[in-house]
Amino acid sequence: MNAYKKEVYSTIILTILFILAGHTGLIFVLFAPHGLKATFMGFPVHYIVPILTGWIGVVILTLVAGYVGNQLDEEIAKDREVDVKETTSVSRTYSRTTA
Amino acid sequence: MEQSWQLSNTSLGIAFLVASFVVFYLIGWYSNRASKSVADLYIAGGTIGPLANGLGMASTYMSLATFLGVTALILKLQVPFVYMWIQFILAIPLITILFGTSLRRMGAFTPAHFVRERYGKTAAVVSACWMILIMLMYALGQMIGIAKAFETLLGIPYAYGLAFGGLLIVGYITLGGMYGASYNAAFQMVMMGIAFIIPLGAIMKAMGSSGWWFPPLLYGDMVKSMLEVAPDFFDPKYGVKWYFALIPSLTLGGIGLPHLAMRVFTASSLRSARAAMVWYALILGMVFSATYTMGFAGVYFSQSTGTVISPTDADKITIILNLVYNPEWVTALVIVGAIAAGLSTLNGNLLAIGALVAQDIISTLKPNLAEKSKMVIGYVAIATAGIVSILLAFKPPAFLVVSILWAFGLAATVSAPLVIMGVWWKEANKYGAIAASLIAGLVYILVSPYVAPSITLSGDALTDKLGLSGALLSAPLSFIILIVVSYVTNRIPSLAVRIPRHETEKLIESIHGWSTVNPMRYNSTAGAFTIAGICAVLVIWALMPW
Repeated sequence: MNAYKKEVYSTIILTILFILAGHTGLIFVLFAPHGLKATFMGFPVHYIVPILTGWIGVVILTLVAGYVGNQLDEEIAKDREVDVKETTSVSRTYSRTTA
Repeated sequence: MEQSWQLSNTSLGIAFLVASFVVFYLIGWYSNRASKSVADLYIAGGTIGPLANGLGMASTYMSLATFLGVTALILKLQVPFVYMWIQFILAIPLITILFGTSLRRMGAFTPAHFVRERYGKTAAVVSACWMILIMLMYALGQMIGIAKAFETLLGIPYAYGLAFGGLLIVGYITLGGMYGASYNAAFQMVMMGIAFIIPLGAIMKAMGSSGWWFPPLLYGDMVKSMLEVAPDFFDPKYGVKWYFALIPSLTLGGIGLPHLAMRVFTASSLRSARAAMVWYALILGMVFSATYTMGFAGVYFSQSTGTVISPTDADKITIILNLVYNPEWVTALVIVGAIAAGLSTLNGNLLAIGALVAQDIISTLKPNLAEKSKMVIGYVAIATAGIVSILLAFKPPAFLVVSILWAFGLAATVSAPLVIMGVWWKEANKYGAIAASLIAGLVYILVSPYVAPSITLSGDALTDKLGLSGALLSAPLSFIILIVVSYVTNRIPSLAVRIPRHETEKLIESIHGWSTVNPMRYNSTAGAFTIAGICAVLVIWALMPW
C-alpha cells in the first residue's frame, strides 16, 4: 500500500476509533437503554467504562496516532523523492526527444 | 432552606488574587518580549515544545465551565451530562489527525487563514465573521464565570466583579500575545490541577470515601450510599438519538473551534504537535474525570443533607463543597484556580478574534498593510473583543455553560465542514463553501430557541438550547451543500473557470507533505458522495420526531 492510501485509511480508522472511545456511552445506551446492574471498580459498568475509554482509551489512541503520523511523514518523504525522480526523468526524456 | 455561598474572609481572596495576577502579568510580559511579528503574536512563532503545548492545549480547552458550569449541569442532568462531557476530550486529537498537522505545515495562523488560501477572499471573510461570533459566545461564557468567581471571592456585586475582573484580564491578555498565552496556559493548567483535585480529595475524605487519595476514579465505595439518596443518578435518561446528536454538535464543534486549532499551529514541529496531543489527553482526561467526581459529590451532598442549591448558585457547586468541607484558604485557592481556567480559555478566544479580524478580514481586504500595522490592529482587536464580551456579560443567561455549548453547534456547521473537506477533497470549491457556511449556519440559528422559539426540533428545552437538535440537522446539511454545490459548479464551465484548480491542487498536495501534484490523490468523488449520503440520512433523522 502506498503512503497516500495509508494516510487516508489510517485517518479514517483512527477517526472512527477516537469517536468510539469518546462516545462509549452511546454504545451502552444502544444495547442497554436502562443501564446495567453489573459493576466494575464499584461503579455500574455503563458509567465507569465510558469514563475510562474517554480518558485512558483516548491517551492510548493518541500514542498510536502520533506513531502512525510520524511514520507516514517518513513514508511520504520517501515517496516524494520517488515522485520528484520520476518527474525529473520524464522531463529529461522529453527534452532529449524534443532536442 | 437556601443559603448564601460567599467567602467570609475577603482579604484572603484579595491576597490570592493579587498574587496570581502578578504571576500571570509577569509571565505574559516576560514571554512576549520576543514578539516582533504577527506569527509571534498569534502562534508564538511556532516554537512551543510538546509538554508546554500539551498543558496549554488542555488549559485552553478546560474552560471555566469545567470548574463551575459542568458541575451545575451534572447536578441537573447527572449521567447524561457526564457522557456529554467525556467526548470533549476528542477535539485536539481529531483536529491534529484531520487537519492540524496539515495546516501547521502550511503555516496557517487560524483555520480561516486556510479557508482564504483554499476558497478565496469572500469565503474567508464569511468564515472569519462566523468564527468571531463563535469566539464571542465562548468568551461571553468565560466572562460570566469569571465575574461570578470574583463575586464569590471578593464579596462584591456581579456587575462590579465583571467590570473589575474583565478589564484586569483583557489587559493581561493583550499584553501577553500567544507567547504569554502559551506559557501562562501551561502554568495555569498546573495550578488548576492542584486547585481542583487536591481539595476534591479532602472533600471525598470528609464524605467518607476510602479512595480520596485519587479522586478522579476511586469513589466507587460511595455508589451504594448515592443510590440510597439519588436512585436514578446512573440512569441514562435520554435515548440513542440524544446521545448520537453529541457527535455532530459537540465533537464536530470542537474540531471547528479556531482557538483550539491555533494551539496545534504553535507547535515547534509536526512531531511536537503529535506529542503534545498525548500530554493533552493525559492531563485533560484526569481533570475531566475529577470534574465528574465533583458533580457526583455535589449531587450526593445536596441529596444527603437536604441542602437546596438555588438555580443561581448551581454554577457554584465546586465552591460550595469547598466552603462546606475545606478551610476558607482552600476555597480561595479553588476560586483562583477557576479564574485561571477562565483566563486561559478567554486568552485563546481573544487571540483568535485578534487573528481573525487583523489577519483574515482586514489583511484580506487590504493585503498591502505593513507588518507593524497588522500587529497594532491585532492588539486593538483583542482588546475590543474583550470589552465587547464584558458588555455582553452584564445580562448573562441562567447557565453559563449553555452559551458556550450552543457555540459548538455553530462551529460544527460553519467551520468544521469547510476545513475538513478543504483538506481532503480537491473538488471542494468556494461556491460550495460559501453556500454551506451561509445556508446551514442560518438554519442552525433559525432552529435554535433563541431566535424563533416555535421552530425548535426536539421540543426538549435544554436539548434545543444546547444546540444538540439544531446541529444534528445543520452540520450534516452543511456537508451535503458543500459537496453537491462544489460538484455541480465544477461542471458549469462559466463558474469553473473562476476556480484556480491548479493552485488548489498544489496547496492540498503540499499541506499533506507532497511536492508534486498527482490528480489521483485527495480526489475521491465516491468518498465525498458516501459522506453526503450518510449526512442525508442524518438530516432526515433530525427532522423526524425526537
